[in-house]
Amino acid sequence: MAGQTDHSISIFSAAEVEFIAEDEMIEIVPNIRMNALNLLCGDFGPFLPQIPCTVPLWLAVALKKRGKCSIRTPDWMSVEKLTQVLEAERESPREFQPLPFHYVEISRLLLDHAHDDIPEVYMVRSLIEDIRNVRFHKVESGLETISGRTHAVKLKNLSAMEVNLVRPFMARVLQAFYKHDSPEMVQQADTSASKRPQVVDRGPRRDLRPR
Amino acid sequence: MPGYYDISDILMEDEAVSVVFHVGANGVGLLDPGTETNSVEKGAKIDLPFWLAHELCRRRAVSITIPSCFGQKMKKDVQADAACVDLGTRYPYFYEFGCKLFPLVGDKSIGPFLRHTFANRYKEMLSKSHTASLNAIPKFVLRLSKEEYQLFEAARSSMVEFKKWRVRDLGLMKTTIVGHKRKTDLH
Repeated sequence: MAGQTDHSISIFSAAEVEFIAEDEMIEIVPNIRMNALNLLCGDFGPFLPQIPCTVPLWLAVALKKRGKCSIRTPDWMSVEKLTQVLEAERESPREFQPLPFHYVEISRLLLDHAHDDIPEVYMVRSLIEDIRNVRFHKVESGLETISGRTHAVKLKNLSAMEVNLVRPFMARVLQAFYKHDSPEMVQQADTSASKRPQVVDRGPRRDLRPR
Repeated sequence: MPGYYDISDILMEDEAVSVVFHVGANGVGLLDPGTETNSVEKGAKIDLPFWLAHELCRRRAVSITIPSCFGQKMKKDVQADAACVDLGTRYPYFYEFGCKLFPLVGDKSIGPFLRHTFANRYKEMLSKSHTASLNAIPKFVLRLSKEEYQLFEAARSSMVEFKKWRVRDLGLMKTTIVGHKRKTDLH
């Protein structure tokens, strides 16, 4: 659960991140007739057969499980788009391509429950796996460049699940580096006080993408 | 002072340091195994636990000599190959101890030395910790100090949990993807 294992660094379990991701909206095509649902999070219009409508992901999966709808794949999950993203990821060693924030969770849920609604499901699955691997390698190689002077690490376009994966490690590493670095900087300034006045410096920010 | 209640802090302060007494002390002959009277002479070299040495040093009763773990031999070892130095079995509290010792001892090079060691070992640790699986404990884990082990454990447990979540409902179907593993070379 959140914050259970270590109080200083709260982490989410993967299931929790998935739960948050289920709030994303997705298009479905129902095959039954149903009245409008008035929920706390919103109203979802009367469901008519073969008329597409937008609902949250959790509702879509629930309806799909009962065989009451078919899910329409989101645009970014087509084979062409994913191949494009994969190529772009491979070409730029420090940048991350813009992808939906919860793409890992959404793709997993859809591939699990709606694999008959997705064209070329095996291709899509392997492409997403490859994209994930490439991005994770980039994160790792970027982490290698953290030195003691890093105050913050900037990772642009990282998705929710990837962030959750590296969060405890990165937080602790930054803490450890900070602990090792600050007293020595003060001590060294004491011994070499004649060099220059101690400026409260911010250190170079370590970007994982070129400015 | 971190953690009055922190267990690893308490354990760390139990490490022995060698001190030289500036003053004589009566009634504590227990500390010096070689003494006949129940007292410690001035100038005697004794091994004390760190918590005691720390207090006495603050009152200027003793002066602490640098223990061997920060001495020349260790520095040479670290320079040779930082990742291979076995901190786990010999000095599990290497970093914490160094940080505590640093203000008390006159040697200013301990601080940068600690950081240098940590930075070098960190690079090696990074890649290995994320890919380590649940059951197989790679040998290098035994060489990590307590602090590094916590880092390693954080990375590994989050990775393992993520994998479990992925395979949760699929069972056998995930094996079709495993065959696609190719090392993507970014450099």
